[in-house]
Amino acid sequence: MTDATPAGVSAAPGPASAAPASDAPLLEVSDLQMYFPITQGIIFERHVGDVRAVDGVSLSIRRGETLGLVGESGCGKSTAGRSIVRLYRPTGGRIVFDGTDITRSEGSALRRIRRRMQMIFQDPYSSLNPRMTAAGIVGEPLDIHAIGTRNERRERVRELFEIVGLDPDYGERYPHEFSGGQRQRIGVARALALNPDLIVADEPISALDVSIQAQIINLLERLQGKFGLTYLFIAHDLSVVRHISDRIAVMYLGRIVEVAAARELHDAPLHPYSVALLSAVPIPDPAVEVGRHRVILGGDVPSPAAPPPGCHFHTRCWLRERLGNPEECETVSPLLTQYRPGHLTACHFSDRVEGTPEASARAPSADPKRKLEVS
Amino acid sequence: MALLEVRDLVVRFRTHDGTVYAVNGVSLDVEQGETLGLVGESGCGKSVTNLAVMRLLPRPAGRVEGGQVCFEGIDLAAVPESQMRELRGRDIAMIFQDPMTSLNPVLTIEEQMVETIRAHREVGRAEARDRAVELLRTVGIPRPETRLKSFPHQFSGGMRQRVMIAMALALQPKLLIADEPTTALDVTIQAQVLELLQRLTSERGTAVILITHDLGVVAGMTRRVYVMYAGFVVETATTAELFAHPRHPYTVGLLHSIPRLDASEGEPLIPIEGTPPDLRRAPAGCPFAPRCAWRLPACWKQNPTLEPLEPGTILERTGPRATHRIACWNPPSGEEAAAGRPLREGFVPASPPETATGGAASGGLVAEDLVVFEPESEFLTALLGAHGLPDPPEEGRGR
Repeated sequence: MTDATPAGVSAAPGPASAAPASDAPLLEVSDLQMYFPITQGIIFERHVGDVRAVDGVSLSIRRGETLGLVGESGCGKSTAGRSIVRLYRPTGGRIVFDGTDITRSEGSALRRIRRRMQMIFQDPYSSLNPRMTAAGIVGEPLDIHAIGTRNERRERVRELFEIVGLDPDYGERYPHEFSGGQRQRIGVARALALNPDLIVADEPISALDVSIQAQIINLLERLQGKFGLTYLFIAHDLSVVRHISDRIAVMYLGRIVEVAAARELHDAPLHPYSVALLSAVPIPDPAVEVGRHRVILGGDVPSPAAPPPGCHFHTRCWLRERLGNPEECETVSPLLTQYRPGHLTACHFSDRVEGTPEASARAPSADPKRKLEVS
Repeated sequence: MALLEVRDLVVRFRTHDGTVYAVNGVSLDVEQGETLGLVGESGCGKSVTNLAVMRLLPRPAGRVEGGQVCFEGIDLAAVPESQMRELRGRDIAMIFQDPMTSLNPVLTIEEQMVETIRAHREVGRAEARDRAVELLRTVGIPRPETRLKSFPHQFSGGMRQRVMIAMALALQPKLLIADEPTTALDVTIQAQVLELLQRLTSERGTAVILITHDLGVVAGMTRRVYVMYAGFVVETATTAELFAHPRHPYTVGLLHSIPRLDASEGEPLIPIEGTPPDLRRAPAGCPFAPRCAWRLPACWKQNPTLEPLEPGTILERTGPRATHRIACWNPPSGEEAAAGRPLREGFVPASPPETATGGAASGGLVAEDLVVFEPESEFLTALLGAHGLPDPPEEGRGR
């Protein structure tokens, strides 16, 4: 059961059409909300509140593009990813995949869509069934969707093994007999089995050893080129996200605070949180580290069960402090708006964030004039 | 005299599925007030080295089978356990990766801190408590008097690590061993904690051994580095020198395989092929040979020792002029190190010797060879990393 196509995208082709216009987004998410209820009591569970894991996320991904979704633990990035592939039933908002609204899809309609969007998980140890062989795991999507004959499926599995750089002869082995990097390759092969359009990769390399991570990153990049895949790449490591993504969305406490091309986000971030995040990432070069100025954020991320009013970031914001704590930040929730072409930010005072993180980092204490002018 | 001198340390674990060669002759020196990094992937022996220094190896499996550890000139192997217990905390303190497991969940922070202080100093309860409040304030915990009454789970991860730092520095140790202190933390919290650690240790002149897999953290925090692989130190130099002129193929490989935030567009990553070695095999030849792009036939047979890069240099083990040393038969040239791959005309990495059977590089590892750690050796798995498992198909196959 697919919801009626909303007016805004009525012209967009349905899932059956072969070649949609390349500039129409493959995935369009607007104002997505995913709340998890908090209950109290044993017999009569009272609904006492919600964990607002995803609280109004909007993003769009073009065909063949990699969108990086970056944020710290608990910011809701994984929940957003899982809601998008409909592992959850979103509380609100809309998810439009290739012109079809899938927000409330169920049953066979959902299964049809799921063939086209697959997921790669973080932990290659727990995301593979230990009682199935590698070939069984990779072939399972083909079995579920009853694709081809048994022989064709077996051939396809061998082919998938080759594609991800595994020896097809090892198909009869069990997950524990593979190393971490190889297990992640199995996960990638499984995601590829149905020739999906979109792959949501949730922290696909953070459980791997440093020397193995590059193998998987390069594999994902190669596959994208070969099969024209579209990625939503979710990770906490900004260096990795910057490397693999065309565009980056920065998330904080359930909301997207900034979206920009990967390079632009690094060179000219507009949201004070992005600035702090960028400045906190260590760079493996002592010559660079010596000259860096870090924006050290105070305190911890507030609980998503009781997010602060107004801008979610205002409790830790260095810019707000610099501007003399304007009231707006505490009362009005800033909307994600376009500041420059293709560069969106959700901050009332983005025009006060300038230049590189280094420059901004120096500014708070070193620029008294600015402080005066506001207060 | 160096503060800490480790010479040819050998640590092995005897388990029911064989011997684990965890540390295979590691030497390192720490000068007073020096901050140095011990960098390597899971299973390279960096944590085990430090547990051996502290005499905290899990018994009876883990044993120091060779070498010497001297702290302020005293051979720690000869010190009785009672004296060792005094030394831990007072002279050498440790911070671990996960503060939740290193704090006692059923005691308040006050009880734990007062206990630590009073175990080493003859002070009354009230005085110890005042000291604890002051320490919590130093590490930036708001309202320390009230927070003292809290239990560990009532703190966030970053706050717990601050409490750990406060406890570790409570007795003003001469040496602090920080084992992946920020790995479990978010990057903005990591920045807070590292800044705190750096400020407090440099104020007090505490020497620090920072154990980490994160080359970025090493670059920002340390003055000198040891790079470890498979229980060996494969390269050591001052931090500036190591990052500017890496010369061991493993270090070169690591630096090329991690994406840099400030990299220019489209710079490809050069992965290190294969996986870390199985530590249940006795080391033969260079441990990195199966994954090395520069290997020679000799690399399969003989393990190179750690030698100065320039032969004949007078060896400086510590300080800002520490000698750059590597363990390699065929070090990449400066140009090759910058490119991340061999540039010599027609150079092909030497194939493994024909006679090698079951070697990691023969590609002939059979499934039966792979034994999964039993639950009882969970601690071992944690120490060695789950990736200490061997890796059957990949090597030698290429892509």
